[in-house]
Amino acid sequence: MASIGEEQEIRALFSELRLADEQTAPGFNAVWHRAQARSLKPRRAFNLSFAVATGLLICALGTLAFWSMRSQPASPASASAIMSAQAGSFAARSERSSNVAGTSAAPQYSRPVVKNRVRRLVPPRHDQEIAVNQQLTREAKAIASWQSPTSDLLSSPSDGLFKSLPQLNENANELKSFLPNREKR
Amino acid sequence: MQIAELKAELERLHSASFGWALSCCRRDQTEAEEVLQTVYLKILEGKARFGGESSLKTWLFAVIRKTAATEYRRRLLRSLRLSGDPEELVERLAIGESQSAGFERSELQGHFQEAMKSLPRRQREALHLVFYEDLSLREAADVMGVSIGSARQHYERGKKRLRESLATMELGYGINWGRAGNPSAV
Repeated sequence: MASIGEEQEIRALFSELRLADEQTAPGFNAVWHRAQARSLKPRRAFNLSFAVATGLLICALGTLAFWSMRSQPASPASASAIMSAQAGSFAARSERSSNVAGTSAAPQYSRPVVKNRVRRLVPPRHDQEIAVNQQLTREAKAIASWQSPTSDLLSSPSDGLFKSLPQLNENANELKSFLPNREKR
Repeated sequence: MQIAELKAELERLHSASFGWALSCCRRDQTEAEEVLQTVYLKILEGKARFGGESSLKTWLFAVIRKTAATEYRRRLLRSLRLSGDPEELVERLAIGESQSAGFERSELQGHFQEAMKSLPRRQREALHLVFYEDLSLREAADVMGVSIGSARQHYERGKKRLRESLATMELGYGINWGRAGNPSAV
């Protein structure tokens, strides 16, 4: 019951408000004609915010295009050509150094003729691979020439006796030399 | 619907539309008029087209509500651009609202409007559409763009909060609210 009364009160307050609003409401025709006038008005051709946004977009696209051109990796064909050229020069260099080993004069080494721009296009990963390969080769050579530090203990002055065999046509004195020394009793 | 026919309907609904625009614009008359003008412009330019899915009143009120929200955001942004201080902006908006409060209000009407302003937007809208515009809850839900269950919840909660606010004011100002129409209420 109380809520019904309150609801009626709210409704009364709202209807009072509506009556007051109706008195202050602008005429329909005035609002309608203003809207019509606005619809007939030509639109502004230049929109500043749109122009700024378009300019920013163009700048961003230009920067992106420039950056992508600068950081574009070499094509596979040119990269392989450069790699083979470098490998060839590397092989020639090693051959030349082996030929002149032992001579006093240092070999005059000529750098491979590769244009700077082409070198820049080679990805740095290739240089790293070459360096790794060289290091592996050095390590392999080191392992092949490795000697145990205790190998000297295995050799003795009588190695010649142990490793040689007595011949049948030798005399008895010579044969005695192969016998171990016996203490005289 | 032909434009002449639509115009006649709009004219019939003009007063109610203005009341709804006022409610959407926090009772700012200038802004409400601007919003209504923009709505008519949208209709004239064909940007807002009545498809006949709901009643014309429901559709028109939904357009007004959306336009008012857009205008409010635009106005807020414009003011923010002009003055960098948000607190100053809020103060200015509050002054504008109080200046355009409309008519000479009775004390109870004044408290009622204050209580309405203190309600959350959805609750205020639900109460306005039901009590002021005499819409059903389903129609109110269509205008607000929510389900009928949600609209009912906003309506019930809004009514409860409005009652509480008015009761608090009754205590503060000594107004005998809610008992004139219902003497048996304690």
